[in-house]
Amino acid sequence: MNFDINEVLADMLSAIKDIVKDNWDEVKATANQFLQRKKERLELLAELRINGELSQEKFESRLSDEKLVVEAELHAIAVISKAIAQKAANAAMDILEKAVKVAIETAL
Amino acid sequence: MKQQVYFYSKRIIISVILISIIALNSCKVTFIPSYDADISEQIDNTAKAVDKFYLSMLETTSDENDGRAYEKFSEQYVNIEVELNSLLNKNKIRPLNENSTRICEITIQLLEKYKQEHKDDNTLSDGLVKLNRKTFCDLFYAMQVAEKGKEIINNPPK
Repeated sequence: MNFDINEVLADMLSAIKDIVKDNWDEVKATANQFLQRKKERLELLAELRINGELSQEKFESRLSDEKLVVEAELHAIAVISKAIAQKAANAAMDILEKAVKVAIETAL
Repeated sequence: MKQQVYFYSKRIIISVILISIIALNSCKVTFIPSYDADISEQIDNTAKAVDKFYLSMLETTSDENDGRAYEKFSEQYVNIEVELNSLLNKNKIRPLNENSTRICEITIQLLEKYKQEHKDDNTLSDGLVKLNRKTFCDLFYAMQVAEKGKEIINNPPK
């Protein structure tokens, strides 16, 4: 089995980076944390297959579970991105609101 | 006459501005629900219960001589499922909360799968106990990151 964990993780990190783009700085620490955890899981999974504790069938089944774990992690990153977008949008609205208030005071 | 026109124009301008303020106030953008400290605490407690479940299994039992027969752990599986179902319902009823809801669904889906595996094999090797523990630890971490992420709306990360 030709499986380079570090290469897979680097590819995943770059995929996440492409998706979140503008919010990368805010989600970088979390994304790295997720990938470090994934690395440990995949290393354990490979170890269990190599020492025969996992059959090929179960190994493949666990690998497919990894897709679900990645999906969960991407949902967590999506929440952070949405929170940042919400905060930015409302900050912009606040500025507009303040400008309108100033306009009223001037008109009065 | 001129004074009357000026008076009415000013009133119209002020009315438009006041309506704009009211519109702006009711025009807050919402993409996600606000942070819920109770849910965050329940995630933490459920994560600890699952961690304790697998650590105890590893420390106090062995897969030899039916030491990890499914029946010995069925009640603990039920307790964990009850907590997870409660978390799922609390997440589901909150509007705009599909991300946290999906993380919870995935966690339940994998718990059911690993429980069924335990039931079918009527045992669980040390390696699988460690792998299951790690998987759930990481899923609860994602769940907690999602809930804590909602705090950003009010408090930017430092």
